[in-house]
Amino acid sequence: MMLRGIYAVVVLDMKRFWLDRARLIAGLAQPLLYLFVLGAGIGSSMGGSMGGGSYKPFIFPGVLGLSQLFTATFAAITIVFDRQIGFFKAVLVSPVPRPAIALGKIAAGALQAYLQGLVVLPFAWLAGVPLGLGPTLALLGAMALASVTFSAMGVAVAARFTSTTVFPIVSNAVLLPMFFLSGALYPLMTAPRWMQLAAHLDPVAYAVDLMRGALLGRFFFNPWLSLGALTAIIALLTWLAVRIFNRGEDDSSLGATNFNWRR
Amino acid sequence: MPAAAPTSDLANVADAATTPSAVEVRGLVKRYGEVEALRGIDLTVNTGERFALLGPNGAGKTTLFSILATLRTPTAGSARVLGRDVVTERDAVRRELGIVFQEPAIEQRLSGRDNLLLMGLLYGLPTAAARRRADEILTQLGLAESAGRPAKNLSGGQRRKLELARALVTDPKILFLDEATLGLDVDARRGFWSHVRGLAATGRTVFFTTHYMEEAEVADRIALIDAGRIVALDTPRALKARLGGGVIRLKTDDDAQARTWLTGRGFATDADAAELMLVHADPAAVLPELLRHLPVKVLRAEVHEPSLDDVFLKLTGRGFGSEHASAPPGGGRGGPNGRGRP
Repeated sequence: MMLRGIYAVVVLDMKRFWLDRARLIAGLAQPLLYLFVLGAGIGSSMGGSMGGGSYKPFIFPGVLGLSQLFTATFAAITIVFDRQIGFFKAVLVSPVPRPAIALGKIAAGALQAYLQGLVVLPFAWLAGVPLGLGPTLALLGAMALASVTFSAMGVAVAARFTSTTVFPIVSNAVLLPMFFLSGALYPLMTAPRWMQLAAHLDPVAYAVDLMRGALLGRFFFNPWLSLGALTAIIALLTWLAVRIFNRGEDDSSLGATNFNWRR
Repeated sequence: MPAAAPTSDLANVADAATTPSAVEVRGLVKRYGEVEALRGIDLTVNTGERFALLGPNGAGKTTLFSILATLRTPTAGSARVLGRDVVTERDAVRRELGIVFQEPAIEQRLSGRDNLLLMGLLYGLPTAAARRRADEILTQLGLAESAGRPAKNLSGGQRRKLELARALVTDPKILFLDEATLGLDVDARRGFWSHVRGLAATGRTVFFTTHYMEEAEVADRIALIDAGRIVALDTPRALKARLGGGVIRLKTDDDAQARTWLTGRGFATDADAAELMLVHADPAAVLPELLRHLPVKVLRAEVHEPSLDDVFLKLTGRGFGSEHASAPPGGGRGGPNGRGRP
């Protein structure tokens, strides 16, 4: 029932996502703004100070990570709506175990983030990134790991909220700092010491570094460290999300408005 | 097995040895902090029965319903559905239940067919089987034509039918309906219930809550619930027979004086303040006498068969609230005094 439950939740979310597939295009706006406006402006002022490469290819993996991060978070936010109304009540009284709901949500969010990443990927060519076969395959793998990480982060956080009004706060107070500290827009190698230390605690930093390394061969972290860190983060956050969903057994009011996973 | 719908009081005696009851509730208590929503509920629903749970808002209907639907856990006592405990054997119970909620539980933006397909997947059907089952149910409920449209584009009646279809995807032995027809017009309600009757005829147990008296009348038995307790549990006929005879309602220019006069002559009047209600073995015969001798001016008089609402009023001293269809025209009871008593 666990696997079938996960599958059912993923199908539900992907069917809904497909209704909003225009979002895949709208979701291009933010990354392309960073890539071609910020990237062009800052890149031209920095000249050749990036240690050989030009700026746009350097930030491309970071921008890719950004689009995945926001897509995954947005997917996770649907949990809050789900709790309040609709089909999810039918899910709650079905024999699907609560952990399967959490895992399905993480899988669906990761899938959506991955799709968004694939839509951004062709712009590598415009950014002047060479897309060789080997690096591209490595990047696709790193993107998958990044998607799952961001989705697990989103679900573990969103599962605690009962209202969507906090989303802009979370977005500004958590997502953007994580993005800025990740070294997505500047090399961590030359960053101040405290920023390098902060990056060690930032899941986004590992994800972006792994994607950049895959594509350009330039790593800040040892790739094995990144792989290990991301795997550990995924495991931890998934465990956390499952635990939160599991606690929600005596909770779902049929009146739906006060519905709280946590009770 | 399609057990004959029990109609006698003997039905109260659960024949636990042979078949497990469809629903069996013992000493059920649910507290939310200080508030005691259920204060010791006992009831047995037999297999194949149509069982109605009736009561005003806040009586504990939804809490009881949620516990039986495995969405809440009781504070004390036990509840079993088809012999399975709703707490310790939750998953088994979930597999057996078909539930129609008061609020919509379909994904409005997806088509009816997609909704049912997903439902099948949630209950572990392989995709092809879920698809087949969805089409089967859609045809059975006459929804096949509109099944491709997003649910939000369907009429209110069709959407409710889709909810029923969703509950039926897994071919449940028990159907739980919580105010399933709330807000529908009379035609749509009738259409909905004709399907439910058809389901009940095939031996399924139907356990439902409703505000509409004429819907409750189709039940084999009714439990009246008030302030977290069952105040009466019987067949509709037996419940009404408790009133003994019929009901006279009077509106006069001085109800207080009329009440005193009536009480002085040994008539049992009801405490309800909005108008005078009295129960008599032969109301039609006694009414002319009353009209002739009452010392106040009678503005309106009516005689009717006792309704379930009257029974409830008699048992609890208050009406149901404003949302019942069978209230006599102009009958102002159930207004401000209908609820809100502590």
